[in-house]
Amino acid sequence: MQKIGRSMFFLVLLVCGTISCTENLDFNQYDDLEATPTYEAGILYLEVEEGLINLLVDVDVFSQNFNFDAFSSDIFADRVLDGTLTFVLENTTSKELEITVELLDEGGTVTDTVLFLTQPAPTAIIQSEIAYGDAGRSIAIIKTLSTIRITAKNLGDNTSVSNLSNPLITLKSSGKFRLRLK
Amino acid sequence: MRITKILYISILLVCLGVHAQNKQLLYDFSDIPQALLVNPGVQTDFKWYAGIPGVSGISAQAGSSGVSAYDLFAADGVDFNTKVRTLLLAGMTASDEFSGTQQAELITIGFRGSKPNVFYSFGIYAELDVIGYWLKDYAILAIEGSADRLNQRFDLGDLKTRGELLNVFHFGVNKKVSNTLTLGGRAKIYSSILDFNSTRNKGFFVTRPGENNLLSSTINADMKWRTSGINAVKAAADEENIPATIIKRGLFGGNLGLGLDLGFTHQLNTQTVVTGSLLDLGFIYHTNDVENYTLKGDVTTEGVEVILPRDALDPNRDFWQDLVDNIEEIVPFENNFKNYITFRPTKLYASLRYNWGEQALKGADCDCGPNVSRDNRVPKFVNGVGGQLYMINRPRGPQTALSAFYQRRFGNVLAIKATYTVDKFSYTNIGFGLNLQAGPINLYLMADNLLAYSNIADSRYASFQLGLNIISWGKK
Repeated sequence: MQKIGRSMFFLVLLVCGTISCTENLDFNQYDDLEATPTYEAGILYLEVEEGLINLLVDVDVFSQNFNFDAFSSDIFADRVLDGTLTFVLENTTSKELEITVELLDEGGTVTDTVLFLTQPAPTAIIQSEIAYGDAGRSIAIIKTLSTIRITAKNLGDNTSVSNLSNPLITLKSSGKFRLRLK
Repeated sequence: MRITKILYISILLVCLGVHAQNKQLLYDFSDIPQALLVNPGVQTDFKWYAGIPGVSGISAQAGSSGVSAYDLFAADGVDFNTKVRTLLLAGMTASDEFSGTQQAELITIGFRGSKPNVFYSFGIYAELDVIGYWLKDYAILAIEGSADRLNQRFDLGDLKTRGELLNVFHFGVNKKVSNTLTLGGRAKIYSSILDFNSTRNKGFFVTRPGENNLLSSTINADMKWRTSGINAVKAAADEENIPATIIKRGLFGGNLGLGLDLGFTHQLNTQTVVTGSLLDLGFIYHTNDVENYTLKGDVTTEGVEVILPRDALDPNRDFWQDLVDNIEEIVPFENNFKNYITFRPTKLYASLRYNWGEQALKGADCDCGPNVSRDNRVPKFVNGVGGQLYMINRPRGPQTALSAFYQRRFGNVLAIKATYTVDKFSYTNIGFGLNLQAGPINLYLMADNLLAYSNIADSRYASFQLGLNIISWGKK
């Protein structure tokens, strides 16, 4: 009976093999597949009221380190190819301000710096796009990013108040990066 | 070259899964014992039969409703990434599927009882049933990403899949209740070896312009992934003990369920027959080796947000970790071990057949012995023509196939059936089935979508069924 079973199996293979044809396929093409998606998201939003600036008599309004491990995590750092960081600074206070954004690695070393000098209100919105990767600064800056340090210096006075409603200085930021998933 | 073809068929079967099998060629092919498994109320005239263990009934089918392997992998000089973007990302929809059922009989036996109008059958078969829909929005996210797609919602509900491997123990009764009506039923015990399902997912991911920051990202998820037996098989793989684990779980050591098949055949007149069957009306209750995963919640983030003086600057505060913790708290990814129930993919068959050209009932091996009266013999017509309907319930709703068929007998030795089937996979599906009766040895071979065999790689659908039985119609 096993012999019959075997014969039948080979008969089916023979029939299938005889009547079927197939054009040439190249499964190695899968190796050529590139999955390099680009993602974007907000990173850091900082808002400071003018009233707070007036309370601080020092030139340095503040200087603060913000831990930011999103980019140095293996799942991102091992795959990121290139991208941009976008910063948008808006000043509706009556002060001339200097804002410094520093990117630091895990050891506390500053790897990149972005400087904004903004005039008192009314002032234009300042936007800065910084490219990383082949067409820009080293992508290693992003891969090792562990801390964002923001330093704001008041280059004006401590008494004036903008006549705009709710005077603020705001720093917005987003990242747009291309990753290699395959 | 032949090996390449065979390998390709194997890859198609294994990698694409096997399509939920419409056995339109086997259905109502009453010369074949396995027809009882697709309609327990089919007209039978066997005294007894026994399948050859392991080869009495093997069926497999592979299908993809979106693209064929040839579409993607043809050596045509077109850049593969272009093909992926054109055929998969732009060409396929979330309702396109890779799905299937594969069955292999382990034991099958049938015999006529002391009452000649009643025929019993029982056995065991192993079944693999898998369906996966095209993860369209997930694929776009993985290959192209979410950038420059503001306000576009990526549907998390595109994840819709289920699969199971189980043994089915069955016992059926087929009774000719009158000269015009035959009824049948089959009780089933399901012994689930492993199961996974994720079919009722809801939610979306979207990037929008932010209210404060430049961008906001929202994830709204209500997702479940339920499994049973997977961990046991994984552990067995680590211990290189998979066969023993599968056998144990397949012999009532896994999760159990109950099911029922129902069927009938009704002679509208001497030559016209209507049939119907409802298969796998059943469920499995998963209590053993269960592990489920959930992702549920709704959160929107614009990144780290610091508003002064509201957020007084604490030099030790970790805004980033706070953000991560907050998201994980609102949209937790969790696991649990709660029991669950799955319902089997129920199938419905129906047919209308017109016969003509009646042949004599004196068969080579059949003279209908003392327990099989001549009244039990089904009138054997030379020709039969008709139509069949097949439906199966699936996670995205019922799937339907319509078939037209022609059946012909050549004496008592050979019978053939040809079908033309229309379904979501193909409008040009021509199938052919062959039943050979050499003394007590019964052999059947069936294959679908024969036109595609000219370039099997370009087919979105291929199937075969075969079996080997010993049949007796009683003493002469």
